[in-house]
Amino acid sequence: MGKQVDILQGTLDMLILKAVSLGPLHGYGILLRIQQVSKDALQVPQGSVYPALYRLEHRGWIAAEWGESENKRKAKYYRLTAAGRRQLKSERQEWKRLALAIADVLAAEPEEV
Amino acid sequence: MLAQVRSWWRALTGRSRLDGEMASEMDSHIERYAADLAAGGVEPGEARRRARIEFGSAAAAAEECREAVGLRWPNECARDLRYAARVLRKSPTFTAAAVATLALCIGANTAIFSVVDAVLLRPLPYPQPERLAMIARYYWGRGESGYGMGTSGRIWEAVRDNATYLDAAVFSDGSKGVNFAAGGRVEYVKQQRVSAGFFRVLGIAPFIGREFAPVEDGKGGPAVTVLSYAIWKRLFREDPAIVGQAVTLRGEPYTIIGVLPESFQGVTPADLWTPLRPSATGEGGGWNYVTVGRLRPGVTWAQADSQMEAVGAPILQKSGSDNVRLRLVSFQRGLTDGLRRPLFILWAAVGLVLLIGCVNIAGLLLARAAGRTREMATRMALGSGRAALIRQMLAESVVLGLCGGAAGAALGWLGVKALKALAQDSLNVWQAVELDWRALAATACVSIAAGILFGLYPALVASRLEIRAALGEAGRGVAGGRNPWPRRLLVASEVALGVVLLVGAGLLIRTFAHLRGLNPGFDAHNVITAQLSLQDARYATSQRVNRLFDQSIARIRELPGVESAAVTLTLPYEFALNSGFQRLDGRHVDTESQIANMYYVTPEYFRVLRIPLLRGRVFTPADNSTAAPAMVVSEAFVKVYLRDDDPLGRHLDLGGGDRREIVGVVGDIQQKSGWGDGRPLAPMPDIYVPSTQVDDKFLQMVHTWFSPSWIVRTTGPPEGVISGMQRAIQAVDPQLPFAGFHSMADVRYRALAQERFQATLLGSLAGLALLLAAVGIYGLIANSVAERTRELGIRLALGATVPQAMRAVALPGVALALAGVMAGSVLAGFASRLLRHLVWGVSPGDPLTFIAVGLGLLAVAAAASFLPALRVTRLNPAETLRQE
Repeated sequence: MGKQVDILQGTLDMLILKAVSLGPLHGYGILLRIQQVSKDALQVPQGSVYPALYRLEHRGWIAAEWGESENKRKAKYYRLTAAGRRQLKSERQEWKRLALAIADVLAAEPEEV
Repeated sequence: MLAQVRSWWRALTGRSRLDGEMASEMDSHIERYAADLAAGGVEPGEARRRARIEFGSAAAAAEECREAVGLRWPNECARDLRYAARVLRKSPTFTAAAVATLALCIGANTAIFSVVDAVLLRPLPYPQPERLAMIARYYWGRGESGYGMGTSGRIWEAVRDNATYLDAAVFSDGSKGVNFAAGGRVEYVKQQRVSAGFFRVLGIAPFIGREFAPVEDGKGGPAVTVLSYAIWKRLFREDPAIVGQAVTLRGEPYTIIGVLPESFQGVTPADLWTPLRPSATGEGGGWNYVTVGRLRPGVTWAQADSQMEAVGAPILQKSGSDNVRLRLVSFQRGLTDGLRRPLFILWAAVGLVLLIGCVNIAGLLLARAAGRTREMATRMALGSGRAALIRQMLAESVVLGLCGGAAGAALGWLGVKALKALAQDSLNVWQAVELDWRALAATACVSIAAGILFGLYPALVASRLEIRAALGEAGRGVAGGRNPWPRRLLVASEVALGVVLLVGAGLLIRTFAHLRGLNPGFDAHNVITAQLSLQDARYATSQRVNRLFDQSIARIRELPGVESAAVTLTLPYEFALNSGFQRLDGRHVDTESQIANMYYVTPEYFRVLRIPLLRGRVFTPADNSTAAPAMVVSEAFVKVYLRDDDPLGRHLDLGGGDRREIVGVVGDIQQKSGWGDGRPLAPMPDIYVPSTQVDDKFLQMVHTWFSPSWIVRTTGPPEGVISGMQRAIQAVDPQLPFAGFHSMADVRYRALAQERFQATLLGSLAGLALLLAAVGIYGLIANSVAERTRELGIRLALGATVPQAMRAVALPGVALALAGVMAGSVLAGFASRLLRHLVWGVSPGDPLTFIAVGLGLLAVAAAASFLPALRVTRLNPAETLRQE
């Protein structure tokens, strides 16, 4: 296991949107997918997934429905809505701009300032 | 945005479902994680434990989820309300006192609002009611102004011919009971007379047939009638071929030409309508019509009003009254003219009572807040914000308000029933007075507003505290430790508001006493009266009518215990016939009509009522149809019309060439004045004529409006002759039953029904205000005695006498009351001006009323202050000091 990074405030929403954009998932599945894709680099506090999910659902970016899980148990599955897709796109662009800007700041040499 | 509202609403309405889903979702999360951990080799029990720990608090997560979907605000409110209910349950005495106060105050408001709503606020039940107008005479001068709602025949003719901005009709106010026969059945129904176009102007199309055409509304037109839906249903079984059928109305044949829709509500309750046939003479000579007009499309009120002024000017100027013009008022305003002012005053009075009630409860809450200082300080120390404390306390007062409102709605329901029973006649309006959803909605709003009103100030005061000082004080009452002024201010303002109400009630009671004390001008003792409707085809001639009078009076006079008997067109205290006349000789000669009350009487009339003869003579049996036409006038008549002239021997023309000589002058009697300065009772210019000297046409006309009264003076209690009178009239005409036996004392009593009603109602409200103010003062002083027990103990121990200690605690109550009385007197000085149209015989600034109210309130305040101070006498200094 590599070094774990606490996720930035506000980025959890974006990560969840990305996770469910690949296919409907239940809460635990979302958590696993984020950890798996980030190769365990990102550590999401388990309890914090749910408020984020309810917030996203409240805003209409994801939709939930009850379905059967792999082991024949009822589970609540979340999927991305059209509005969520647009939101994810804009958040991703925002993130890229932010990341570029931060990279620029960090790469600045004394003579450039 | 819409999605969020929908999600919020779903969450709010399905909270238990939401909670269940969250729980099962998080549980299965933990189970899956535990299973994964177990699959990785962790022992299952340990895996479950670790999964739970790593997940963290599920309850906290759930709370965050609820917040995420917008449930924080409603959740906190629900918690505040639950807590408030618990706090209020814990102090049942306070809660009961506050709820009872509120229930009384809100109940009074609910009841009065129901009446105000039905009469003044709800629009008339006709299409586009805001375009309906009434033509009024607006008069002004001597600092007073007002409206007269009646119209004369001449004004109506001018309006009909010249007022192009208005589609107008005219009707006779009120309805009259008449005998109605159709298909072998006879019913006593209510008839109203309206002109052609009346229903068109109101915007009501007949359900069947048509309304009156102008030819039917003219002199000698065909006798036709329009029925109400109810009577068509009841008497004609909804016969669709009703038009053209013949019916008999007061003995005359009429043809039905139409039926009105079921939903139609007349301006007065009526079962059928007949043409008014307005004219400029006779009935039209006085202000006996009422107009209704609809503004034509595109015409503004200002345009129509100025046209109306121009239309009325020539007629009103000719009659010699300068300060008067025609004016348009809204139809609803016109119909409710007499009720408006009394209702608004009552409304204001119940509003004041509610305000006093709120102030009272605010005082109680302040006292309670003092006992809760530590609770508040503890909560603040634990991190609760001031806003949260205020919200919590407001929740308590809103819960109180709602409980009071619910109880008040129940009381209001009773109040509406009581009001209807008390004032059936004056509330005879087109819309039922009832406790409907409008009144309930208003009650709910008032309850919540009251809760905030009385809760906000104490909450602000109580939440402004120093945590350390409050906690450190440890509940020990230090003398003057708390600022007593907020509560004192409340009590003083309560007293001030009470003064306003008491002065108002006092003025109305004095008015009532004044009117009741007026010399009636006749002797009501041992006189009984009964009425008989002569609106009957068999009594269409003067000869038939006078034969009935003579024969019935002769038989009644033979009854044992009867001293004398007479017949008159109308009784004292009743609205009388207004008649136009012109003076023909002497110092004043008229070219235009003047107005006086007119009565026909039989010769003994003045003897029966013992109205004094001042000059000349009264009538004798010799004043018959062949004798020279004679008349007797009242003293007021002489004062108004023959001031500097000799009344005897003067001649008047009573209209239509009816020339008479004045043969006598009698004393004044009190009358309901339909005209003049609007005072409820006054001696009016009266003209009496012998019943034998009026013609058939006149009798037929006046008998459509008035049922003549038989009056009998007895030697003993008058009730004893009732059955004898009934037998006497039956012997003359078996088809004529007397109706409504009343002693004259009773007639006198009923004449002041409205004034009595107003005085009683306002008096009870003022009594309630006085009680509330007394309770407020009592509470203040009782509380201060309790707070100062230790201080008082020390004082007594140091040698103060009991009276001194009592004075020390009680005097602030009296001082506050004094301040309140002074402030209240100033307020009442302004408020009493609003009453000036209801106050007669006393000035609105009547010093006696003000002084009596002030002294009375001070006395009550002194009692309310010294009563709780008596507790000082039971104080044992040694004990109180040891207790601390």
